Amino acid sequence: MNSNRLPSLSHRLYSVWFRHVLVYTRNILSNGLPPFMDPLIFLAGVGLGLGKYIVSMENMPYIQFLASGLLVTSAMYTSAFECTYGTFIRLEFDKVYDGMLAAPITTSDLILGEILWAGTKGFFFSFAVLIMVSVFGVIPLSTSVFAPFVGFLTGILFGAMSLLITSFVKTINHFSFYFTGVLSPMFFFSGVVFPVSSLPKVAQPIAWTLPLSHPVALARALCTGRFHSGLLLNVLYILALTALTGAFAVRRLRKRLVQ
Amino acid sequence: MTKPVITVEHLHKSYGDLKAVDDLNFSIGPADCFGFLGPNGAGKSTLMRILYGTAERELRPETRVDVFGFDPRTRELDIKFLSGVVPQENNLDEELNVNQNLLVYSKFYGMTGREAGERISSLLEFFELSDKRKSKIRELSGGMKRRLTIARALLHTPRLLILDEPTTGLDPQVRHLIWDKLRELKKEGLTVLITTHYMDEAFQLCDTILIMDKGRKAMEGPPQELLDGNIEHYVLEIVGTDAAKNRSDAPVPDGVRVDLAHERPVYYSNEAHLLRRISKGLGHGEYHLRESNLEDLFLKLTGRELNELQ
Repeated sequence: MNSNRLPSLSHRLYSVWFRHVLVYTRNILSNGLPPFMDPLIFLAGVGLGLGKYIVSMENMPYIQFLASGLLVTSAMYTSAFECTYGTFIRLEFDKVYDGMLAAPITTSDLILGEILWAGTKGFFFSFAVLIMVSVFGVIPLSTSVFAPFVGFLTGILFGAMSLLITSFVKTINHFSFYFTGVLSPMFFFSGVVFPVSSLPKVAQPIAWTLPLSHPVALARALCTGRFHSGLLLNVLYILALTALTGAFAVRRLRKRLVQ
Repeated sequence: MTKPVITVEHLHKSYGDLKAVDDLNFSIGPADCFGFLGPNGAGKSTLMRILYGTAERELRPETRVDVFGFDPRTRELDIKFLSGVVPQENNLDEELNVNQNLLVYSKFYGMTGREAGERISSLLEFFELSDKRKSKIRELSGGMKRRLTIARALLHTPRLLILDEPTTGLDPQVRHLIWDKLRELKKEGLTVLITTHYMDEAFQLCDTILIMDKGRKAMEGPPQELLDGNIEHYVLEIVGTDAAKNRSDAPVPDGVRVDLAHERPVYYSNEAHLLRRISKGLGHGEYHLRESNLEDLFLKLTGRELNELQ
């Protein structure tokens, strides 16, 4: 007879998270290297090419401006992939969730564990970018060392949002609409490649409704040391949207998992 | 009388217009092996899922579902903590190896690393999988995957084991191995709940069987008693096609029942000599005279025709 007690909520979330860590670290080279390679390629491309045409933006070298945005977009893409394609495969193809639900795990434990894992990946990807841009002196080491925490926030935000998208998707091909229709435009209009303030006045409020704008603002503040009280609103926006989309994702995915 | 492990009263479940479970009642005592039999689509899997909380039952005031004193609607975690589940599909984690598959589940059950290590070793040995500990799931045969899935359900030494078609699609060697292991576990006091459409499986393992048809209970009791009380002792099947044609319009003697479904007649009787008389004149291999089994009873109860879900 099992002498253990029924695991607590935190333990249950940890064990779901543990499963993802175990899968991810199994192929440590193929999973662990690209996050470091990506920023290298970017630095080469911008440093050798584009950077010669655009020298500075918002009073900083353009390469620094772009790199501080990249800290966040890498976290966005990895968490979005994890919680769309990754989740869908676990849900529909491998039926991993069906097995897990036979253990003392609830559907909300499963979904919250996914979101936490998305946050962890966001943290790690931001961290990888930070290492590379710091090594090459693109972003001076300062408060920028806290950027991976913004990566974590980006991860849980896009993890929760992507899970909500996944709850609507019936065939895996539909995710391309999400990536090209939602994430790609966001990459361009959320202050990553140029400041939101340079958009036409009417378009600016719209740009601020885009989820990505807020972590970008936070990451840039950390990299430049230009802090202001408006950043609290950015944090609040991220947390609120994560909670809202996360709650809907839990409800909708539960319907798919429980007959 | 000892307190039952599972009590189900007036259980209903529908999917749209389809009644998957229709007013089902049963109870299972400790260390019992209870078998659910029924054609595909009879509602067996749905019933299993309702018991551990991954399917929702219809809410009716007269319904009661109790597993270890818990209602799966509100206490699914408590039930799952005391039970091991072997789902119809193995759903092993293809991204992890054999050991890691079990390791992840040991975390779900709150086991420490050391506890898990020891338990995993002994279970892999029990299911003759010790040399596969580091193997990828892809490299395992169907029988190995099934054994691993059962091992996974037993990690935390549950008090109830729920098996949904444990040996479907497996070869006879593996089936017998799994049956032997289940018998051993039962001897140790484990309560076992099994769904199957293999009648020999139910007969080999179960103390009590419940035959389901179209979501309803068709019959319940110990397998031998059900056989004795509900179907003739002997069966004569006509195998040869020509022989079958000649026989189908021949008169049937008293004390013999004939089932003419599917062109080939099947004769049932309590007296073997009556059947032997019918078989006279048929060549070797044109008929098969044997004792009746659960399959005969099952077909008698649920009919030979396929329903729309099969």
